Amino acid sequence: MPNEIIEGVLEAIYLIFTLNPEVWGIIEVSFRVSLTSTFLAALVSLPIGSFIGLREFRGKRFLSNLINTFMGFPPVVMGLIVFLLLSAGGIFGSLGLLYSTTAMIIAQFLLAVPIIIGTGKAAIESVDPALKETVLSLGANERQLWWELIKHSKKSIIAGFLVAFGQAISEVGAVMIVGGNIRWATRTFTTSIVLQTRMGEFGMAIALGIILISIAFILNYGLTRLQGGDK
Amino acid sequence: MSLLEIKNLSKDFYKKDGTVISVLSGINLSINKGETFVIIGPNGSGKTTLLRILGLLESPTQGEIRYLGKDITNLSRKEKTLYRRKLSFVRQKPLVRDASVFENIAYGLKVRGMKYKQHKHLVDEMIESVGLSGMENKNARTLSGGEMQRVVIAMNFIITPEIYLLDEVSANLDPMNIKILDSFIYKIKQDKEKTIILSTHDRYEAIRLADRIAVLNQGKINQINSPSVIFQSPKDEFTAYFVGYENIFSGNARVDPTSNLNQIKINDLVITASDKKEGKVKVCIHPQSIILAKNPPQNVSSLNLFKGKVDEIRDLGNIIHVIIKTNSERFLVSVTKVSQQKLGIKYGTEVYINFKATDVKIL
Repeated sequence: MPNEIIEGVLEAIYLIFTLNPEVWGIIEVSFRVSLTSTFLAALVSLPIGSFIGLREFRGKRFLSNLINTFMGFPPVVMGLIVFLLLSAGGIFGSLGLLYSTTAMIIAQFLLAVPIIIGTGKAAIESVDPALKETVLSLGANERQLWWELIKHSKKSIIAGFLVAFGQAISEVGAVMIVGGNIRWATRTFTTSIVLQTRMGEFGMAIALGIILISIAFILNYGLTRLQGGDK
Repeated sequence: MSLLEIKNLSKDFYKKDGTVISVLSGINLSINKGETFVIIGPNGSGKTTLLRILGLLESPTQGEIRYLGKDITNLSRKEKTLYRRKLSFVRQKPLVRDASVFENIAYGLKVRGMKYKQHKHLVDEMIESVGLSGMENKNARTLSGGEMQRVVIAMNFIITPEIYLLDEVSANLDPMNIKILDSFIYKIKQDKEKTIILSTHDRYEAIRLADRIAVLNQGKINQINSPSVIFQSPKDEFTAYFVGYENIFSGNARVDPTSNLNQIKINDLVITASDKKEGKVKVCIHPQSIILAKNPPQNVSSLNLFKGKVDEIRDLGNIIHVIIKTNSERFLVSVTKVSQQKLGIKYGTEVYINFKATDVKIL
């Protein structure tokens, strides 16, 4: 076993530094899927989350609990739901999207939406209430207040995007189910690692693992930088 | 019609453990256009909450607020913004946005739809008048406390609203900024279209600025009147003490039929007053109404003359507060530093205090 590991690590380094086309294909698919899903989720969720954070209304606490629950939604269950919707017998079966990157984007999008709504809401709510009142008493309307609060909490909001992206790129259950782990097409870091490990191809698995951990490290570094400087 | 009217207003806060704190109750007042209305009261009396309600930053638990006769207690978001744009609210603690000095000061004009070209010269003028020239592009949050206060003054006064809500604004200001603030307030006071509602715990500030004063204590209004009336005839003990009647004693009053003057017995002391209220009363004497003498004064008209010893001396700069102990009571007398030195008043000095029967307020 130790031999296999050493061999695996050496092969991993070789694969990374020779720019192995399959490794690059996997990187490309992973990033395309996760970036697209996070971007679309941000577009939809930030207005919703910030609006919930801005207003006080009846049932807000219930809604917040609901959002928090969905923030930790099991990806594999989301995969199952999207699979059922997109499979031949499902409501959207006729679109023929199953086992495509679009299906993966949909699944990751649905996972990212509550995360960005939740973090966006929390970001807006964490702004000093005295600032809200100052802005209001200077004559700002609700839209102007909203924009001011977004500007003030932009670091926390971006941190939310990073968290969502980090979850998406390291998630395995949903993309495995709806993407099908098809080589050169829907294979990502995570699904590939699962497969290679099962087949005993540790070199490839370790190479992808190293890249994935590096991404996680960079994201976390960015997060700490953001949070450290957040006022 | 009054500009602002508050009818039977109360405000309760609900704590997490279920207890209710009544911050304001049974508030009735009306504020006229063009006047400077000062709400005076100690910390925790509800001044800030009252101003916040007038600024629509807080909703009352009960009661209503009227602006020019129109009920504005429950407005829609849009209407609230329109009302808020008629006023500026200067908070007790200075708070600036995370933006440049220029942008902070321009903000109120910008949200009212004024373009950069239209407001640039106004903002520049304002920056100059608060002495922040050259700091336009600095982030306002990096300024010193005093400079930040000036940004706050500038950003609230540049709006030139109908109503100025000033919440204990001078409490945290240094003397130089108080001067800047006062110059703005005096300018606004001259404009009869503008109304100032100011809260303070400083009685001197209240006398200096107010057309009318409301005395607020524990969420209730004790008295509303012009400063001269409130200072000359406070309605209750709290108001009396708050406006400076620091000598307040409890006693029994009875009008003497021969002299037709009120005699109030306070322990060993009998104070004579022209005020005719009888029975259990409070006697209030302002420290400035009491005259201090080293030798028994002769041929004086004042009916109250007591001997005592100096028990304490509080140096307040130009003014000295001297505590005189008679047999049973302690009197606070305020004298100038010059007369303290001239009389040679020290701890333990034997002195005589005297005051006129007409200077004794009976409550």
